[in-house]
This record gives sequence, C-alpha cells and structure tokens, in this order.
Amino acid sequence: MITQLKSGNVYDPHNKVFNLKKDIFIQDGKIINKKNIKFKIDKVINCTDKIVMPGAIDLHTHIGGGKVNIARLMLEEFHNEKDPSYDSSAIIAPSTLKTGLKYIEMGYTTCFEPALLPINARQAHAEMADIPFIDKGGYALLGNDDYFLNLLKNKSSQSTINDYVAFILKATQSIGIKVVNPGGINAFKFNQRALNVDEKSKYYDITPREIVQKLTRALYDLGVPHPLHVHCSNLGIPGNFLSTIETIKAANGLPIHLTHIQFQSYGNNGDKGFSSAAVEISNYLNKIDNLTCDVGQIMFGQTVTMSGDSMSQHRNHKHAHPKKWMCMDIECDAGCGVVPFKYKDKSFVNALQWAIGLEIFLLAEDPWKVFLTTDHPNGAPFTSYPHLIKLLMDKTFRNDILNQLPKDILNHTILHTLNREYTLNEIAIMTRSAPAKILGLKKKGNFSEGSDADITVYDKKINDIEEMFAHPILVIKDGKIAVENGQIKEYIWGKTHTVTPEYDKAIEKDLSKFFDKYHTMKLDNYIISDDEMNRLVGSPVYVNDCLRKRKQ
Amino acid sequence: MTSKNNNKNLVCPFCSLHCDDISVTTDNNSYKVNEKNNVCSKKIDSYNLNNRSITLPKKGSEFVTLSDALKNIHDLIKGHNETLIINHGVDLSGVRSMLNFASQRNCIIDHVNSKFLYQNIGVVQRTGYMATSLTETKNRADTIIVFGNKILDKSPRLLDKVITPKNSLCLKSKKEVLLIGDFSEKIVKDMKDKCNVTNIKFDLNMTNDLLNATLSSDLKNIKGLSKNNLAKIKKIIDKSKYLVATWTTSDFIKTRNPKKIISSISKFIVNHNKLSRAGCMPISGVLADATSTQALTWMTGFPSRIKHIEETFKHDRNAFNSEILIANKNIDVVIHISTINAGKLKINKNVKNIVLGHPNTSFTSMPDIFIPVGIPGIDYEGIMFRTDNVVSVALKGIRSLKLPTTKNILDRLA
Repeated sequence: MITQLKSGNVYDPHNKVFNLKKDIFIQDGKIINKKNIKFKIDKVINCTDKIVMPGAIDLHTHIGGGKVNIARLMLEEFHNEKDPSYDSSAIIAPSTLKTGLKYIEMGYTTCFEPALLPINARQAHAEMADIPFIDKGGYALLGNDDYFLNLLKNKSSQSTINDYVAFILKATQSIGIKVVNPGGINAFKFNQRALNVDEKSKYYDITPREIVQKLTRALYDLGVPHPLHVHCSNLGIPGNFLSTIETIKAANGLPIHLTHIQFQSYGNNGDKGFSSAAVEISNYLNKIDNLTCDVGQIMFGQTVTMSGDSMSQHRNHKHAHPKKWMCMDIECDAGCGVVPFKYKDKSFVNALQWAIGLEIFLLAEDPWKVFLTTDHPNGAPFTSYPHLIKLLMDKTFRNDILNQLPKDILNHTILHTLNREYTLNEIAIMTRSAPAKILGLKKKGNFSEGSDADITVYDKKINDIEEMFAHPILVIKDGKIAVENGQIKEYIWGKTHTVTPEYDKAIEKDLSKFFDKYHTMKLDNYIISDDEMNRLVGSPVYVNDCLRKRKQ
Repeated sequence: MTSKNNNKNLVCPFCSLHCDDISVTTDNNSYKVNEKNNVCSKKIDSYNLNNRSITLPKKGSEFVTLSDALKNIHDLIKGHNETLIINHGVDLSGVRSMLNFASQRNCIIDHVNSKFLYQNIGVVQRTGYMATSLTETKNRADTIIVFGNKILDKSPRLLDKVITPKNSLCLKSKKEVLLIGDFSEKIVKDMKDKCNVTNIKFDLNMTNDLLNATLSSDLKNIKGLSKNNLAKIKKIIDKSKYLVATWTTSDFIKTRNPKKIISSISKFIVNHNKLSRAGCMPISGVLADATSTQALTWMTGFPSRIKHIEETFKHDRNAFNSEILIANKNIDVVIHISTINAGKLKINKNVKNIVLGHPNTSFTSMPDIFIPVGIPGIDYEGIMFRTDNVVSVALKGIRSLKLPTTKNILDRLA
C-alpha cells in the first residue's frame, strides 16, 4: 500500500529541507522516493497548510526501570487523574500505557531511557516493551560498577576496557553508555558524601576524570555513535559549573554528551550563593566541536526526581515534597534515588533554575548540539515539551513569565537580555534530526528514502504554538496512522534500538568468574539475548550500525 | 520428550531468591536436583509428576477437554457479575495476560500475599527509606541484623549466598550477624564458623524499643533484654561500616503492630545513614510477589488490588481485598492462578472457583474447573523478579509436558 502526504510544508533538516512544500510517500512502513513508485497510490492525505516533520525523538527520558517503578509505587496518592481515555496514573510517574499514549499524541515516536542499570536491564526493557507506539532504547550505566573500577584499579589496558564496554552494550541490549556521577555512586557505598572530578575515591583510589577518560575513549574506539552520556559530578550544587568544565576537559577532545546540563551550570555568586553559570557553560558548548548536551529544563509544579545518583539524591532528600523518598544501593552495579519535588515559581533557586535552562537553549549557537529535554520527570514531565517550545519560540511569552518570578533573579541571569526566538527549523533540528544523528539512528529523524515512516503533521492554522505542538493532527508510526485528529486509530508496538560493536569473547570468561565469585546470579542469566528480547521481554531488537570498525 | 540424563541448570522459580546455580538431571519429563546438600532439593523435586498429579482439565471430578473447560469458564464468567483473579504466583507473561484478561472482563486482581506487600510498601509511601540488594549485602555488609526466624525457611539459601558467603569483594574480616528472634541452636551453631553470630532471643513486638535503645548513650535494661546484651548489640552496630537489616514480613504479621516494626527498622536504617552506611533488605514472599508487584505497577501505577472499571484500572486496597470480597460474598467467580504454590489452595464454596494451576496443585476441596498449566522455569521459559526488586531472571524450561501456559489460557479466554 502506498500513501501520499500531499502538499505539506515539510521540515527535514537532515536533507536540508526547511519549510518546503512537497509530498511524502510511504510504502511498507518506509519512506519511498516518488521516482520509485511503481504501483498506484492507495491513499492521499491532503497536507495543505500543514507542517510535516519526522516523528520527534526524545533522547533522555526516564520511562523504564526500577527507579521509575519505585516512583509509581511511592506516589500512589497522585494516581488520580480523571481523563477517561487513560488509566489514572500520574503524569509525573505514568504507567507504561499512559507514557505511550501521551508521547504519540505529541508526535514523539522514539524515546530513550538514559539510566539502564545493567543488572536491571531485563526489567527496564520489559517495562519499555509495554509502552505502546514508540521505538525505544537505553543507555547502560557504567563507571560505578565494581568490575569496571577493578579494571581501572588493576591498570587494565584500554583494549580490555573496550571489550567490557562492548560486552555491556550487547549483554544489556543498549544503544549507548551513560556514566552518572562518575565513581561517586560507588564511593557513596563506602560512605563518601562527595567526589570532585580530581578527587580520588577512598576505596578504589580512582578519580572521576579517569573514569570519563576511559569511557569516552572506549566508545570512540568502538565506533559507537552516541558519545559517552555524562551526568557530571556535583549535580545541583552551587558552583558546580567548574566541575562540569573539568568533565568536558576530561574527554580530551573526544566526543562527549553532557546530560541535563541545566543542573550542572550553577554558579555560587550573590548573597544567596546561587547564580547562573550558563554563559560560561555555553561558551564551552559553542567552541568545542565534539561536545553536545541536553538541557533538562525545569518547569514549575510537582514532579518526582529519579536518578542513579544515590549520592546526590540522598543529599537532597531533605527537600522532598511530599516528605518521602527512597535511595538504594544496587548489586555492585550502581544505585538509585527517588525524591518527589515541587518546583515553586516563588522560590529564588527554582526560578533561577528555570532561567538557567532557557539561557542555555538561547545561547547555543548550533541547534545540532543541544537537545530539548526536561530530563522527564526530573525537571518536569515530558508533556511540558510544547510549553517549552513556546518559551523558546516566543520572547514575549517567555518574558511575561520571567516578569512574574522573584525580581532578585535578574541580578543573576541574563535571560531578560536574550531576544532570540527559535524557528521551526531549529525546533525540527533539536527534536528530530539532531537526536537521530547523535544516536546513529540513520532511519529516524529524516525523510530519506528507506527511512522509517514516523511522521508528525501539525496544523499551521493553530496560532498558539504550544497548542500546535501539543496536538498534532496526524501521527504516523511505521507507516501506520496512530493518531488522527486527536484520536488513537491503531495500537502499534515499537522495537528496541541497540548497537553491537565487536569485542573479544575472552572478557566473558573473566566476567563469568567474577559473577560466580561475587554476584548472586550467573553471567549467563545476566545476558539478554535477542531471542529473549523478542519472545519473553516482548520487544524485537533493531541493531544500528557503528560509525566505523573498532580501533583497538 | 526430553532425553535421559540431560544435565541442565535450573533457574529456580520457587522462592524469591531465584537461584540460577542449581544443577538438575532431566529424565523423560522428570528431573532431579543433583546437589544432595542443597536445602532446596526436596522442594524443587516435589513438583515432579506423581500419582496424584492432574495433567488434564477437570470440571468438578470429571476430566474434560481443554475446549470444554474453556467454554465452561467462559459461561461461568458471562453468567455472573463480579470476577476476582487471585494470583498465587506466576511469571511475567502470566501477569501481563492476567491484566489483559481483566481489562476485557472488568475483573478485580489481587495477590494472595498482598497483606504482606502493604506492610512493606507503606514505608516507601509514607516516609524515607534506604534499601540495598542481595549482591551489595554479600560484598559490602560487614554487619547484618536478621529480624525473625522464618526468613531462613522462606529463602533457605540466603545464608550461604548472601549472609555468610565464601567470597566477598570488599570485606577483609568475618561478618557480624545479629539474629533477633527465636532461632534454632543448629542454625546458630552452623553459622559460627562462617561469621561472628550473636543470637538475641527477643520478642519482636519490642523491636522499636530495642532499636531506639541502641541510639542512646545511656543504656538501660529493656523488657526482655539486659543492659549487657544491649551493650553488645550497640557495640556491633556502632562499629559497622555497612549495616543491613533484613526480615520477612510474615515474621511480623502476628505481632501487635507489624507496620510499626517495619517503620522502626526503616527509621533506624535511615538514621544510621547520617554518619555511616546502611540499607534495608526485606525478603518478599515465595509466590512471585515481586513479579506481580513490579509488572502491575508499571502497567497501571498500582501494585495490587485493582479493578478494571470504565476503561481504566482503579485501585482500592480495602475494597479490592480478595479475603474481604470473598468473606462478604461480593464476588461470584474466583480465578486462582497458581503455578508455583506448594500449599493447599483454599476453595471457598460460596463462590465458583476456577483454578489454573500446576499439575500437583492441592485444594481444600475440588474447584468447579481446574486447568493444569505449566510451571514457569520447569515447563516453559519466563521472567520473574527477585526479592530485591532490581534483578529479574530468565527462567528456562527443563521438561516438556506440553502443558499450556497461564498466558495461553488467559489469552484464549480474553
């Protein structure tokens, strides 16, 4: 069956198409070229006065895994939403069903869980398999696991570390590697309460810098498209922009992605000891080619913070709202912490956090290097993306809100001086083409021939940009109509995206001994096969290409 | 049919540790655990077919075809108002299908062990909580407090795998283990070579007083515990660098206030983390409680006691309590799902009872319809969650009786 989306205003930044009136053709779930159409067109959808973009991609959203389920369980009193078309789970900790429905209704077709604990990978994938509509994937957490830290302590070769990283990607069915508070989660288990970039952990005698260096190198050597996804040291601490800059330097010019950088861009100036360092961070972002980031914008209101960073989450538990929280040490692998939190517009700190995130967006010279996220649900639930887009595209709207915030933040932010308004081109880049590129998803985020027919169509006539992005009139997933005029038309089940760089299987022998000696499960049981993903977990695997052959 | 003397590794579905290092030999659809000293061998072997096993569907006392059994179930549900599903233990695929079935037929779902679940999660839902897991405890915990003695019956290998393991990544000396409660002398004696064990025979009702007393610098006798014993406990706790508190809620259920005991342990651990490190490690029930809790929570937001009403799942831990529903005769039909339960299923004759159970399931009286289903990890592959809720295991199949799975049946009924 061939479907034609006719005469839409197409945004396809990957192919340098910006607001060009053209047709898109779909066959068997893929984009096809008009020249290659050999059969009659079965269905024509008139897209006159419509904006047509590839399906949006969220590269950092906590949608599956132990900590997400802890939040669901903890926040039972919030599960009282009344919308009859969903279950009653709260949007700050939605059920898998609600996650899928809300994403697809906004035109998002691919999402990535950024904190997939290797030992918890089976659960995270099983949860994500139950999210309808979207394709998904995860970044495996490394850098706090005792096996890796022992490799570093024992001065293992980079090649061995590369083998381990590649093994983890394969065994956990992941598409990338993330490090959270490098070495800090592990140090917390030995009762260290802070770990700066050049501070040695007491037990392993290793610095966060060494961890970042080894892991960025490993991913580069292996040709993994997505650079090391880094949640830096000292999250949320005033003055942490200095350790963020040191983390950037630790990559030694190799590709590195700093996540929810808003939480890592704090100065400590002023009488409250809290100020924006967005300018300093943006200077680095703008001048270093291999550096990318997602923002982790906060929005005012109730949410829940969830993180592998048990050190930070334990430190922050006194701010819990409501007053309950949970932290956990996990399996010599990592940790987690779940702390509900309410961002208040009357709070100096929260208002400044809001401004810092927007500053970073607006100071970024290249939209290919900065990604639109709220670190769902840490900064705000993902359903606030349309509102965030409006903040970026409408200076007046932005300043109206800024003017309602505590006046003293203006001494510590330059947001009111920034006149930039994002264009639709730039929004299309940062929500579609750029995340596809940084993740190595060749068939996503573009309308090239053979790409997945994941398409979002917005109504140009809707004047309010927030409303337009909140309610696309048509969402197509894998060539099938998932949403039409706000109504779900068909349930579609996505796949799991991975990468599988080569590795020397000898690493498995060493790991197997380590597991037999120190773990409470066998290595065989830890590894998730493609077959298991398909038959038991419930999500088939799609293996994306590496950038190149392994270097060492 | 499986070949004779085929050695395989079993991933055990029968307790919440889900050990995956158990060697079994299969022989024409029976199997035998090879490790004679394994305390779980007898239990695992008991699921082999015997002369009382039922491998074909039954309606009352009559054998029927699977199609007839399904038709009868269909008619029973259609002809009645309220259907309750009680989960006595099944793997992830069974829970997923249970939810799907419930959403088609507007059923209530409860787990038979929900009363224990709600004692534990109450702490997470009301206050702060510090948790740890099995491997952390094995490798990092220099001090472990075990509250109550049932824990070792429920999870027999907790001792050799976690509490007194041969190897430990970070510890140089023997663990300190405090057994609080009435433990047998044999257990204490067996542990003595492997750890520094201290058994305090103590009324668990007094747990809060005990833990509070350890925080005081001015020690006094408390009911049932001398000042000297208290000093001994305090010294061990104060010296610890990584302290773990472990319990199974069934040990507390007959105390005056189980919630208070669990809260006081949790508060004690939270407090201990101000200066040192510590974590709670409750051991959940043996009926795949964690699997049910995890899967229902991610699919609906709620861990148990849910009902499908007006196209969505609602939760009410009192209104959808299976025991109360049956006692008050608010239910017409009960579907029991029981793939790993060795105990006798309680069949209440005031309601219609359907059982999807393993072939060796025993009952207080025969249900209206029984369909034998496979055991996850024995008859088919599946996924279950371990007690610490962070590790899930891939169960293998080690025999091929060609029994349908719970998922097969529920999907056909939906």
